Amino acid sequence: MNKIQITIIVILLAALLAFPQFITSESVLNLAVYVLLYVSIASSWNVLGGFAGQTNLGHAAFFGVGALVTRMLWFAGWNIFASMVIGALVAVVLALIIGVPAFRLRGVYFAIGTLALSQILLITVGNTFSTISSIPTEDLKVYSLVPRYYMFLGVALLTIVTAYVLLNSRFGLGITAVREEEDAAESLGVSALKYKMLAFGISAFFGGLTGGAFAFYHVGYYPQLTFGPEWTFDSMMMAYIGGVGTIVGPVIGAVFFVVLREFLALRFAEFHLIIFGVLFILVVLFLPDGFMGIWEKIRKRLLRRSK
Amino acid sequence: MNKRNLNWIVRIGLLVALVAVVAACASPTPEPTKVPPTAAPAPTKAPEPTKAPVATTAPTKAAEPTKAPAATSAPAPTTAAAKPAPAYIEVGASIPLTGKFGSLGQQVKPGYQYAVNDINAAGGIYVKEFDKKIPLRLTVYDDASDPTQAVSKMETLFADQKVVAYLGGASSDMHVATIPIAEKNKVPYLGVSFALNAIHQKGYKYLFSPFPKSPQQTVDTFAALNQLIPDASQRPLKVAIFAEKSDWGAEEEALWKENATKAGYTVVVDEQYAVGNLDFTAMILKAKAAGAETLLALPNQPSGEALIKGMVENGWTPKFSLIIRAPENVTWSTNLKKNGDYVTIFPGWNSAMKFPGVDQLNKAYQAEFKRDADLLTGPSYACVQILAKAIETAGTLDRDKIRDAIAASNTSTVVGNVTFNADGTGKVLDPLIQWQNGKLEVIWPLDHATAKIMYPAPAFDKR
Amino acid sequence: MLEAFAQNLVYGVLIGALYGLAAVGLSLVFGVTKFLNVAHGEFLMVGGYASFWLFTLWQVDPFVSLPAAIVSLLVLGAVFYQALFSRMVKLTEGVKIQNTLLIGFGVSLILQNLALKLWTADTRSITTAYSGQVFNFLGIRFPLVRVASLLIALVLVIALQLFLRRTYTGKALRATVENWEAATLMGIDIHRVYLLSFVMGAALAGVAGALVGVGYSIEPGMGMSWTLKSLVVMVLGGLGSITGTFVGGIILGLTESATGFIALMAGGGLTYKEVVGLVLFLLVLVFRPEGLFGSKEG
Repeated sequence: MNKIQITIIVILLAALLAFPQFITSESVLNLAVYVLLYVSIASSWNVLGGFAGQTNLGHAAFFGVGALVTRMLWFAGWNIFASMVIGALVAVVLALIIGVPAFRLRGVYFAIGTLALSQILLITVGNTFSTISSIPTEDLKVYSLVPRYYMFLGVALLTIVTAYVLLNSRFGLGITAVREEEDAAESLGVSALKYKMLAFGISAFFGGLTGGAFAFYHVGYYPQLTFGPEWTFDSMMMAYIGGVGTIVGPVIGAVFFVVLREFLALRFAEFHLIIFGVLFILVVLFLPDGFMGIWEKIRKRLLRRSK
Repeated sequence: MNKRNLNWIVRIGLLVALVAVVAACASPTPEPTKVPPTAAPAPTKAPEPTKAPVATTAPTKAAEPTKAPAATSAPAPTTAAAKPAPAYIEVGASIPLTGKFGSLGQQVKPGYQYAVNDINAAGGIYVKEFDKKIPLRLTVYDDASDPTQAVSKMETLFADQKVVAYLGGASSDMHVATIPIAEKNKVPYLGVSFALNAIHQKGYKYLFSPFPKSPQQTVDTFAALNQLIPDASQRPLKVAIFAEKSDWGAEEEALWKENATKAGYTVVVDEQYAVGNLDFTAMILKAKAAGAETLLALPNQPSGEALIKGMVENGWTPKFSLIIRAPENVTWSTNLKKNGDYVTIFPGWNSAMKFPGVDQLNKAYQAEFKRDADLLTGPSYACVQILAKAIETAGTLDRDKIRDAIAASNTSTVVGNVTFNADGTGKVLDPLIQWQNGKLEVIWPLDHATAKIMYPAPAFDKR
Repeated sequence: MLEAFAQNLVYGVLIGALYGLAAVGLSLVFGVTKFLNVAHGEFLMVGGYASFWLFTLWQVDPFVSLPAAIVSLLVLGAVFYQALFSRMVKLTEGVKIQNTLLIGFGVSLILQNLALKLWTADTRSITTAYSGQVFNFLGIRFPLVRVASLLIALVLVIALQLFLRRTYTGKALRATVENWEAATLMGIDIHRVYLLSFVMGAALAGVAGALVGVGYSIEPGMGMSWTLKSLVVMVLGGLGSITGTFVGGIILGLTESATGFIALMAGGGLTYKEVVGLVLFLLVLVFRPEGLFGSKEG
């Protein structure tokens, strides 16, 4: 990474920080919140699904638990940050409890096992917390999107930076080894389970934290909403289409997914999902390795030329 | 990538994250910087009622007086230079046109559309402030039955279309997300297709719903039964309640139980099931064994049809059944044939009701859909009628004044005369409608009835 | 009481057969091609509509029109395979699963919303003259159309099993499941095998959809829940076992109906029966990570 790249990142971050000072339209600000929400959840899914190669189809469970706990504590008068951290920690506890049995499963068995877990929570939460959860009317009078924007920005950056640090640490080497050749890694003394559990815990933590931010943001919903399989599938798809297992991939994927879908929805009303589906397929056909795959190809070509 | 650069990135990233978190923390109340107090008037919806000649500095977006298609009935004296009237009165809705609530949303949208068309055909709404008729412009977005996407559509309608009022989507799942946005943005909100009363008890000021709610439905259930079956010995006194495990289901269930006892009915079976249930065998057999004569249920699809099919196969026919929601589907009777008959519903409206405007609505609907207007279309149409009347009464496009005018309104609509209670629920008619030989007939209240109640229902295998 | 319990179990088997049939299609495709087709539920939906329109427009009995539903899904499956999925054949397994999942997602969006535009969002179902008829046996009611659906599902699963075991093409399919590279070396045309299993999976979904239209109801948005159910049943039964998958579906159906009944008697209503089914599924995975009837290699 050179000075130019650092400069670009600094400018980008400054722009993100200053964004709400220049943009006052609720529409744009809300879209930014929406994008950051998906950047966070897709990046958190990617820690386990991408780095560790364990396709978790139950990520919504952690997002949902984070949201549920945060919302409950926050509405009970707790500080929002404390609520969010506790929510995220509860998500981690859940991950640790199910981790050991879950990691006995490989491949598609792990994927569907986690899917079943999140479906169990979805139905159970639907049954036990069936009343609407809405921000009290007096709080709505002072509700502003600006703090929500910063909250999501903070969560997104924390997630990305943590993922970055992880990938460039010894953990990164270990987890990559486990992903590529689990048995070989084990024979070299790398405890696959330890690495997977660590990845699972971190993934759940940030999934839960994103859920907490969602609880802080959303004005009214049924608690089971945050446990819906759409959260998992959307995150996974964003990571895939951006470039799974990379830092920037889920970010690009989220931006692409959310902005395109919103753009189409505002223009084509009930046709927008058909158009979105077609465009989506075209992207997958032409970029089988995601956006990051194309970027890698370009970079390699440039490097070869410069040599 | 070397260590030093890595550290840099981490430090910068964490710093920014920290700043962001502090910024979020520091502003539980709106940030003072959020709305820059610029000298130029922000391009807002509500033109100030001052006579100051601001016309030159007024935002260009709203100033298109020449484009207004309205035939000005009373030409304003040119000397009294009021603000230029906006070309349109903007209203907007985020409706679930696709996804799981699509079948509801598809009934709601044409209601809004036809009402806007009809009002605009007459030149629009007369707004005293501008002394002219201004047409409505309706913007509809599809939220794909996702409450999060609905929020984003609501913000777009507010920020980009600068709507003076919101029209609602469909189903309480969606309303619960969109109503608080209306409240936050201080924009009047008129919505139908939800009977959940709990939303109205949250102190929302901008919410209005000309649609029957659970308290009314559950009282009317027994009032209608007692009136329709005058001979007390013939009444279906043993009641079975099959309640969906949702807040609306629980609300209706509790109120049904309470009102049943008051009206002299006995609840013999009261069971809950999770949303989306397809196998009701256990509940049906229990109700059959308990000799239940009345079935009260509120399933959505596909549970509704699964319930009927299960009842047919297990040989249980209640004398009277009130099934809210699933049988409101236009395909109920074509799907279930004779087994769909005798079922009653509380849909809030029916196209056979004799109120002014219904014929016109049916005609428009016939032209497009080859059938009379759907159940939710009437109440949706009424929302726009109420809004139009309120704008005219307010004489301005100021949202708060429109809100007050709606609260005080008394409007003749296609669903009858509508006024509002303090909690935003409408004082509306709550007709009981029955599927009779594949047609929907109003059976109660008696002065609106198009047919007599068919009672008791003969066993399924004797039809 | 005992009678009511038995009656519930009958319904459990009958609905479980539909779970099983839907999952068999998914399992066949996944086993042979490693395509995770999440549009499977949408194929089911299309099959349901094919049967519905044949019944509504030309009064064709839904059981008679099953071949038509099969053919329309064979065609639809072939079109999607040739246009989209065939491009994924040569990818490595992980990327293959990933990209077919993405494409499946796109396909499901398109099919679901096209169905909505073409046929409206309204629920549809098929009621024949004999719908609702039952025959009694030992005091238990057996609903005619559901029992017929069960028999059709059984026949199809047995036929599929025979096809895979007895015919040359079937054996080629199984060889591909075990080792597609070796299969290629032995002269098996992998594209043909993939295409065949993909369209057969689609056709099975189509039949399941038609039967759902008779027993329950269909609508454009029904796909997601059937895809999820099929995924669970596929893994519960165990990959690579067609019969196992079908039996897994019936076991899930039975669990749901039995717990539903017991919970209702205990005063708990029908709210948790699906949860119990899923918990059972997870327990099975804990003790048998390869599913009930799966082979160790998965």
